[in-house]
Amino acid sequence: MSVSTLPAADRDLSTHEHHAPEIPWELVVWNDPVNLMSYVSYVFQSYFGYSEQRAATLMLQVHREGKSAVAHGSKEKMEAHAVAMHGFGLWATVQKGGLGG
Amino acid sequence: MAKAFTSGRRGITGHLERAERELLRNLFADLIGMLEPQTPADADPLAALIGLDLDVQAPTDPALRRLLPDVVRDDAGAALEFRQLTERSLRESKVGALRAASLDLESEKIVLDAEHAKLWSMALNDVRLVLAERLAIKDEEDADRVHGVTDWSKADDVESYLSLVYNFITWLQESIVQAMLHELNTAK
Repeated sequence: MSVSTLPAADRDLSTHEHHAPEIPWELVVWNDPVNLMSYVSYVFQSYFGYSEQRAATLMLQVHREGKSAVAHGSKEKMEAHAVAMHGFGLWATVQKGGLGG
Repeated sequence: MAKAFTSGRRGITGHLERAERELLRNLFADLIGMLEPQTPADADPLAALIGLDLDVQAPTDPALRRLLPDVVRDDAGAALEFRQLTERSLRESKVGALRAASLDLESEKIVLDAEHAKLWSMALNDVRLVLAERLAIKDEEDADRVHGVTDWSKADDVESYLSLVYNFITWLQESIVQAMLHELNTAK
């Protein structure tokens, strides 16, 4: 048994080598001078289910640094979040992770 | 005068005078007029089913562009493709929130459940985004300039009138959001 499983393991390894690691996408929320800090916190808490503390941290990052990557995951999921954010009137975009968002 | 919304046993309640309700009704109606899709849903049933609308282009009105922003930066093609799939339903959901808020304006005392409070906060936020565009609020300094306009007796031009309206809507939204945050954080 051990003999027959080894080649299979080898094949697995070789296929892995040919796949680039999955790069997650991210949802970036941008600062604007209109949206209330309380409202942005409320959206982060009620929509994403983030704690009061986490929502406040992300909101302040948006406010002070101009933007914050508030969620990470598949492209489709981030796009759905972006539409929801636009529904709330927040300015959100989707980008590949690691682009400095 | 309006009374701030507060969270209580029966939901989130506030008081708005007739003139204030009339103002809100008009603002909500203006935004509904801006946001209602201009073309009928696609005649192709499959396209209509998935919400695909190839006639959609990025809005040229900056206020509308702020309400319906691009989903990606620096890639107009990808942004347009996504817009053609999603903009119609985004417009419809915004119009839905504005209509719901408008229907809640029947009486002086306004009682909102959690869902309606959320729809109100979204509707008021969209009103503020449009007014902010008309008032050229581009940064915090502009926001402070508008925030400093507080005297109705000196509102003798469109800009100061709009500033006062903006400040009123801001105050109203803040009170609803504070009430919702109170409910969120006491329910835990």
